[in-house]
Amino acid sequence: MVNLPTTPTDIIPFIIAIVTSHTFITLVIFPGFIHLTIVVMFLTWYERKLLARIQLRIGPLYAGGPGGILQPIADGVKLIFKEIMIPYKAEKPLFLGIPLALVFLGALPFAVIPFGQHWVIADLDVGLVFIFAVASLFPSMILIFAWASNSKYPFLGGLRSLFQQVAYEIPMWISALSVVMLAGSLNLVQIVDAQHKIWFIGPAFLSFIVFFIATMAELERLPFDLPSAEPELVAGWFTESSGAVFMVIFLALYMKLYLMSSLITVLFLGGWWGPTFLPQPVWFILKTLVVATAIIIPRGVYARLRVDLLIKVGWTRLLIIALVNVFITVVLVSTGMLPGLGL
Amino acid sequence: MALNPWLLIVIWGIILLILTGPMITLPIFWSRRKPDQFRDMPFESGQVPQGEARKRIVMQYYPYLLMFLVFDVVGMFLFAWGMSFTTIPTGDSLLVLLFLFLLGAPLGYALKMALDRENW
Amino acid sequence: MDLSVPPDITFVVLTTITLLAAIMALQAKELIYGAISLGISFIGIAGFFVSLDAPYLGMLQIAVYVGAVVVLILFTIMLVRREEVDKDETGETGESAAGLWLAGLLAVSIAGIAALAGPNLPTTPPEANLPISQLGAVLAGAYPVPLIILALLLSAALLGALVLAKVDR
Repeated sequence: MVNLPTTPTDIIPFIIAIVTSHTFITLVIFPGFIHLTIVVMFLTWYERKLLARIQLRIGPLYAGGPGGILQPIADGVKLIFKEIMIPYKAEKPLFLGIPLALVFLGALPFAVIPFGQHWVIADLDVGLVFIFAVASLFPSMILIFAWASNSKYPFLGGLRSLFQQVAYEIPMWISALSVVMLAGSLNLVQIVDAQHKIWFIGPAFLSFIVFFIATMAELERLPFDLPSAEPELVAGWFTESSGAVFMVIFLALYMKLYLMSSLITVLFLGGWWGPTFLPQPVWFILKTLVVATAIIIPRGVYARLRVDLLIKVGWTRLLIIALVNVFITVVLVSTGMLPGLGL
Repeated sequence: MALNPWLLIVIWGIILLILTGPMITLPIFWSRRKPDQFRDMPFESGQVPQGEARKRIVMQYYPYLLMFLVFDVVGMFLFAWGMSFTTIPTGDSLLVLLFLFLLGAPLGYALKMALDRENW
Repeated sequence: MDLSVPPDITFVVLTTITLLAAIMALQAKELIYGAISLGISFIGIAGFFVSLDAPYLGMLQIAVYVGAVVVLILFTIMLVRREEVDKDETGETGESAAGLWLAGLLAVSIAGIAALAGPNLPTTPPEANLPISQLGAVLAGAYPVPLIILALLLSAALLGALVLAKVDR
């Protein structure tokens, strides 16, 4: 515990004690703000390089260092200085404020995701439901933003995005229910702890598949790309954004990608468990990168699905599979077919 | 310092706001502010936009919004059950499964009504 | 009234946010801002639940109310044509005076009740006696009938809303 400074000479040790305290390090450095910005910028570069190699191109090449690794910084600097064009009769406070809210809500759930046994900002007992609640705020904000840019393409794209995300949130969380049943807790640290013998991707494989598909639909990635369909709706719900607004929305999308990938790692891939020759957070980030790669690759490979078929499939097929999966997990756990897993 | 996790979340939120706020408030001051009729026209791939922009609402997916509301509530109740699933007697779990099963028929009927586009 | 106890800062902040947002939700000229303020006041109420040792309920509030109900409200607002909304009756019939008088009456009554019953209330909040892990156990174990009634109620609400919203061609 620290002593509050009573004399002016006490301030420096007080500041040093605060800065080196575990809370401060988790809040600001890892897994806090600095790590988050670095990894999200890395993800933007990583996606462009990966897609380029799949499409037999090269991708970012010139922006400093090997392979254009400073490209995200160059993009950020360029976009900050560009002009923000607000469409005619658009709602200005909403147009400028909602991207900020999007990136805020995309980064907020990182407070509960554990990167290691003690590397979590806030060890919350209702952690998984907290992420669920924050994730359910996204569709409404996208709808408001699309409405606020007084233009046809964004409005149609925003409506499609709302219905698509709403359709795939329910199967996503009902399939996460199987993990909760296996681990017996909503606390993310305890969920990862329960995977020390076997990762939940084994017993809950069907849940993993449903969750993964639903995640790709939530993140609006190809083949579920129709809200931001490039040849169709120009850029979907963020057509009218330019300059810093676009940069913030772009960051919010990649923040969501990182969030969902780390959530899949926590729920299904055993979090930080791995052979001890590497520290725990490194395993976590490696597994998250594998998941992010698996989400990025279909963008360069598959064709786009039509949005009404998408929504229909989400509600009819995927939801039924998720509900049946709940029954399957109940049967599996209660009849003790999973012995020796420490369950 | 074992702080209340909610307090840590609030502190994290404040840090986020402080560090991401300038990302959009500063460029507002840097960018040009005189509104210009041609640059601020909504983008329609070069055509002149006509008609009202927010006119066409897609109503065919409205039942899915209603279903989302109901199944959101159901999902939250199922999470409460799933937490304590291994520790409660089987009868109680069967009760919750009955709860889920009772919603199956309305789900089927709602899907049937939703797929029939004539209704919307 | 014991004025030596400092007010709980969480309570003050949450009350301010919730009430201001609720007032703005009623008074906003553009309905979209009203809907957003309503969402913010729901988040404030979820904050109340969290501060009262019911975090699960707070998360349910955010997920269901702000995530679904506000979306439905927004959708409805976008369906209404703007020229139907802009007809704003500015009643000069003493609305604000009546409102202030009623608010003052309410404040005096609450203050009176607090002064009369206040000294008998406990000053420390009660301990949370239901850990979150037991929430599901209690729900399924001690309240089976409300659970089944809830299933029937949700089904009735869903089917009723769909039948009402459907277009008979």
